[in-house]
Amino acid sequence: MTTDLGFIDPTVGGGKARILLAPRPMDLAGKVVGMIDNTKEQGDVILRTIADALKERYGVARVIIKRKEHYSKPALDSLIDEIAQEVDVAIAAVGG
Amino acid sequence: MQGRIVDNTVDEFEFFLEKEWSDGFPVVTPTEARVARILTGTSRDPEEVVGNIPPAMAPATVRTVAIHALMAGCKPEYLPVVLGAIKLMLGEEFNLNGVQGTMHGVAPLMVVNGPYAQQIGLHGGNGCFGPGFRANASIGRAIRLMLLNLGGGIAGVGSATVFSSPLRYTACLAENTERSPWETIAVSRGYQPGDNVITCAMVESPRLCYDDVSEEPERLLTGIADSMAALSSWNMHVRSDMMVAMSPEQATLCAKAGLSRGDVHRKLRETAGRTVRDLKRGGNWRRERALKINVDPDNDDAFVPTIKDERDLHLIVAGGWGPLTAVCHGWGGGSRAVHGTYVV
Amino acid sequence: MTMKVDEFEFFLTKEWSDGLPVVTPTEERVAHMLTGTRRDPGEVLGKVPPMLEPATVRTVAIHAVMAGCLPAYLPVVLGGLQLMLREEFNMNGVQGTMHGVAPLMIVNGPHARKIGLHGGNGCFGPGFRANATIGRAIRLMMMNLGGGIAGLASATIFATPLRYTACLTENLDRSPWESLAVSKGYAPDDDVITCVMVESPRLCFDDVSQEPDRLLTGVADSMTAMGSWNMHARSDMVVAMGPQHAEICAKGGLSRADVHRRLCEQAGRKVRDLKGGGNWRRERALAFPIKVDPDNDDFFIPAIKDPKDLQLIVAGGWGPCTAICHGWSGGSQAVHGRYEI
Repeated sequence: MTTDLGFIDPTVGGGKARILLAPRPMDLAGKVVGMIDNTKEQGDVILRTIADALKERYGVARVIIKRKEHYSKPALDSLIDEIAQEVDVAIAAVGG
Repeated sequence: MQGRIVDNTVDEFEFFLEKEWSDGFPVVTPTEARVARILTGTSRDPEEVVGNIPPAMAPATVRTVAIHALMAGCKPEYLPVVLGAIKLMLGEEFNLNGVQGTMHGVAPLMVVNGPYAQQIGLHGGNGCFGPGFRANASIGRAIRLMLLNLGGGIAGVGSATVFSSPLRYTACLAENTERSPWETIAVSRGYQPGDNVITCAMVESPRLCYDDVSEEPERLLTGIADSMAALSSWNMHVRSDMMVAMSPEQATLCAKAGLSRGDVHRKLRETAGRTVRDLKRGGNWRRERALKINVDPDNDDAFVPTIKDERDLHLIVAGGWGPLTAVCHGWGGGSRAVHGTYVV
Repeated sequence: MTMKVDEFEFFLTKEWSDGLPVVTPTEERVAHMLTGTRRDPGEVLGKVPPMLEPATVRTVAIHAVMAGCLPAYLPVVLGGLQLMLREEFNMNGVQGTMHGVAPLMIVNGPHARKIGLHGGNGCFGPGFRANATIGRAIRLMMMNLGGGIAGLASATIFATPLRYTACLTENLDRSPWESLAVSKGYAPDDDVITCVMVESPRLCFDDVSQEPDRLLTGVADSMTAMGSWNMHARSDMVVAMGPQHAEICAKGGLSRADVHRRLCEQAGRKVRDLKGGGNWRRERALAFPIKVDPDNDDFFIPAIKDPKDLQLIVAGGWGPCTAICHGWSGGSQAVHGRYEI
């Protein structure tokens, strides 16, 4: 961490774990899609609308929506595992 | 990016001011000699792991904390407070992860009680929320630098904060125990007067609440309670912390009328709030939110208290002598204030 | 063994230190900073009250160096200080007051953009060098040259976090309206600073309203309080609407002037709701520059006594939030003017 400049650079940046992306399917027809409801008001309405559109337009077979406990806290590992077991593709939106 | 070269040496100030995690202010250049010096402020093993700072989850060892403390401008004797505080803030109930990303603008305000705070010059009198007091300024800043660098809570990057808040530069103070008529907040929670304690709550910058008129507590506390409620404050709509810092003059006014700290705490909780009718007119009122906090959304006359749980109101005595109380509203993201002793 | 002075300790222990490290002011750094202006280093800007030490361009440059400024920021610091020394701003009063207000600088124009002054996400907080250091340079001068030190010349009870630094710009990229400066009659490419004495921002959330009436009701509610000086004296106020809230108003057909007017009309309390706590005194009400009837419980006392006192800006990131900064009672009036590059 000590630079050639004679002082320490504590900037975090090195040693980050590499996250490999799961392969994406080329189309959604017949697939099971999962979504996480973050519990913010009317978020469920938005997700259900998206679910309907995915089925209509892309031939998605089934959409599973699970609710986490609180919008400002991460979803429990058990919830994520549950979804991972059941779905082919998961959508986790990041937003307010 | 390399720092600007001055006489063939890198300008160390530029080097750090240009970092993405900089708070925008200059830092004390961290050299091995300075790190060794600041580590004399603790007897803990420098390699001891304190925890990982969310959301980037970079690890903080005692040595890492020391480096950020020294950059912030801390003296070695401040280090135990910084170590104690970051440890408390990593407690799950505090939800540091959430506040790093939130749209809101709250900061982890530290109230430090006990003899060590006094020893190191932590300030709780005139101007305690503002600049000019090295312990206050640098201890709070050390925390922020870690949240930025190790945690990655950078506005517009890891953080969706709309405005942030000036309190995010630094947020640390002591009570004005010399002029307080009551026991400290720590003692009121069951700690001993000789314990060194930190209380941490996620709050906004203080709203100043003036009253040079009241001569008895009823009217005084009505005015303070008024500043504890607003249509657009998250405190009305979810369970949320709040810090009320009474000046010694206003606390004494209450004490002279026979009120204990507990009495004032209770009166503020009972008085601060708004009716359902009022809350519907603007701000963040939603039926679903009301139901979650056991408010009947169809009863317009129902009174919705600001403080949903007595543990959420943090009453302290701080500031210089004068007719003012500072009220810090809380967050809506499910953070619970934390408190604990720290090792000196 | 030679004793090398730790330059950081040297400044951190000064009585006028704000408590945070400074960039060591060497002759070389000051010379470099002075390349940021064409003005003569010996030019006197004024004296900073209450101690009344003189501020020359060079003095200002030294404080700008210490604060962490880049040379390109210097014109803003110079322009800001000059405005703040105007009599109507009453810098002398705010240096001594029990209250906790800071001279917030709102900078408009192309130069602000060029130097990276930030008006989006997190603009009131840390992480933006121009915002942080320009505001800090002003504070260091108020402390060192002016002597506004808490517990000494300053009777400030709490101060406020905004006193560490108080400088930002608007979020024009996402604003539906013209800038604050343009609304005051300046040209869009004038470089303008507006300075106003205010407390730290109160955050005002509304993710419910989809039309302006309800939105502005909530905003107006946060513009009043029994304990706010705004209710009891003529006082400035800053309302920084987040772009999302501004858009709701614009989509509802409101111009900036419409919103300004509505807030001036709506924000306030009835006499009945002010008597029961806070700083209400009959004599204060009678001293307003507007006529009120303090003996009529139903009389509506507006928070804004003169429309010039409300500084409405669009700033912050995208989100359902507006920030409101209450003012002071000490006879300070906001100032504004162009600054020289």
